[in-house]
Amino acid sequence: MSQSSSDNIYLPKTAVLERVVDDIPEVKTFYWRFEDPAAQNDFKRFKPGQFAQVSLFGVGEFPASLPPSPTESETFFTVRQVGSCTAALHQLHPGDKFAVRGPYGNGFPMEQYHGKNLVFVAGGIGMIPLRSCIVDAIAHRDRYQSIQIFHGAKTPRELMYQKNLDEWKNAANVQCHVTVDRSDNGWKGNVGVVGSLFKKPDVKVPVDNTIAFVCGPPIMFRFVIRDLLEMGFKENNIVSTLERYMKCGVGKCGHCCIGVAYICVDGPVFTYEQIKKLGEDI
Amino acid sequence: MKARIIDSADVLKIVDLLRAQGREVIAPFRGRGNDTYFDAVTDANRNDVQIHFANPAYPPKRYVLPHIESMMKFHRHDGQIDIEPTYEQPPRAIFGIRSCDAAGIWHLDRFYLGREFRDTYYEQRRKNLFLVNIVCTDPEQDIAPDCFCVCADTGPAARDYFDLQLMDLGNGEFMAVAATAAGESLFGDPIFRKGTPEHLEKRREILGETRKHFKTATSWFPATVRYISQGNVLDKTWEEIGNRCMECGGCTYVCPACTCFTVSDRQTGPDETERVRIWDSCALAGFTRMAGGFNPRRAVHDRRNRRFFRKLAYYFIQRELAMACVGCGRCVSVCHGDIGMPSVVEMLRRATAESDKNEPVKQ
Repeated sequence: MSQSSSDNIYLPKTAVLERVVDDIPEVKTFYWRFEDPAAQNDFKRFKPGQFAQVSLFGVGEFPASLPPSPTESETFFTVRQVGSCTAALHQLHPGDKFAVRGPYGNGFPMEQYHGKNLVFVAGGIGMIPLRSCIVDAIAHRDRYQSIQIFHGAKTPRELMYQKNLDEWKNAANVQCHVTVDRSDNGWKGNVGVVGSLFKKPDVKVPVDNTIAFVCGPPIMFRFVIRDLLEMGFKENNIVSTLERYMKCGVGKCGHCCIGVAYICVDGPVFTYEQIKKLGEDI
Repeated sequence: MKARIIDSADVLKIVDLLRAQGREVIAPFRGRGNDTYFDAVTDANRNDVQIHFANPAYPPKRYVLPHIESMMKFHRHDGQIDIEPTYEQPPRAIFGIRSCDAAGIWHLDRFYLGREFRDTYYEQRRKNLFLVNIVCTDPEQDIAPDCFCVCADTGPAARDYFDLQLMDLGNGEFMAVAATAAGESLFGDPIFRKGTPEHLEKRREILGETRKHFKTATSWFPATVRYISQGNVLDKTWEEIGNRCMECGGCTYVCPACTCFTVSDRQTGPDETERVRIWDSCALAGFTRMAGGFNPRRAVHDRRNRRFFRKLAYYFIQRELAMACVGCGRCVSVCHGDIGMPSVVEMLRRATAESDKNEPVKQ
């Protein structure tokens, strides 16, 4: 990445919160834009799988996935309230200011996936970073062979991006399957872990010439990887995006360094083959 | 590199020359006990500056990477937020930096300025910094029992990474070597005179003699670098090292080549907050713990593994052109569990070399 010596990599730019949408319990989507239109234009060059550093004044900064696709007009974060910074973000109202810098990280090399089948497997809020790729892939539908989306959540009301799920289910040339660990009243869909969807009679997951995107909590990740390897997937055709405690996002603070990689600059997107070599819990 | 000769009595005049350039000059002083420390030179303490001294417990790293450094201020007014970066770029010189610590700053240069992104704050402090390296030549005063620069290939005389280097030739004369244009510009002053081939011969003789006085000259870095890089070290060995770590973080705080920091916001006024960065340590359990509690490095030996892997793995050596250890020996002095660098290098080399797993003959 080119950079002049006067650029301060740590300096965020102010942003305005435009609206907030409730997703699932403790998770909201925050639509925002930079106050400076030039910064907004600059930011829009992000790639699916990249992330940004979000500043809450007086509280701190946290790394956030970018769920929008570059093909969409709005910029937004989807954030679970889990620590002090995310709690502060959750308390903001439309019109409030915060600050953002980025985009950072390598992102998914979508150009390498042209002409391939895409299989997306998202557990819970693991859907947040994958949403960007899914929307991007559907917007450029002719670049890919089949597109399959598998999404699992604990309960029906914890399924992410309900509106998008409905769109994807009805989209031509896209298959979208959802499942929940525990059903509740009115749920007519599949019950079981996300891997159970692969074995359903109406599902046929292609293995050859296929890239599998896997994102979700550690336990889900392990089981889905096992399923995919059993199906015959090669380790370098499975990709994921990792999360780590990060303070800088630009390879300096050292917190996200595992194995030979700094997650912030060498990742956060890695193939499973690379992840195995990093040598830390996922 | 050009060399000049200067009388011992004139050596502190270099401090005066640097101060006359408008620089704040940091130099070594003796405390009331056996301690030494770096501090700013004033008119009052100028004559107390030390030439032969035990290297202070804290390296002068803090002049390019302070323990706590302001990064920016956020001002709130009329519904607006102004973000103002806070830079410090004092013209400064460190007089008397040891060869190991000069190599430490060179390593920080590689890390903060040589990778994908340049660190603005480091760059601001570094660009106006002049380094006067003093070669360790006195076995009694300069060389501590824990020093191992000869194994880390950074001393006793730095080969580069300084503006000016001074070496006590022991006969009432010092040799001054300039490695940069800024260093060479000082040679215009009449305190410097040209040397003779005998002076160069004397320098080589002194360096050869000085090298004999290092006691911890047993660090087998090459073998250990190879074992770590190839993943040959047994988990059991990392566990033994982890068991000896008391998680005080001391090794990282005294290390001239450690780079990690955390970032924190603090209130500095009713409508003003400040963002600072603070040294952080991979020895501490919270270093990798994420919001929500998940910690990918659960056990202390995971964290020790990390520190030594990061410092010694071939991958990083290749990227930064040197391992992230300069042989200053401070981690040895500070560690209660005797897992300073030479000790760990020895444990890794011995345990790995002796393990059956790495025995090539299987039948």
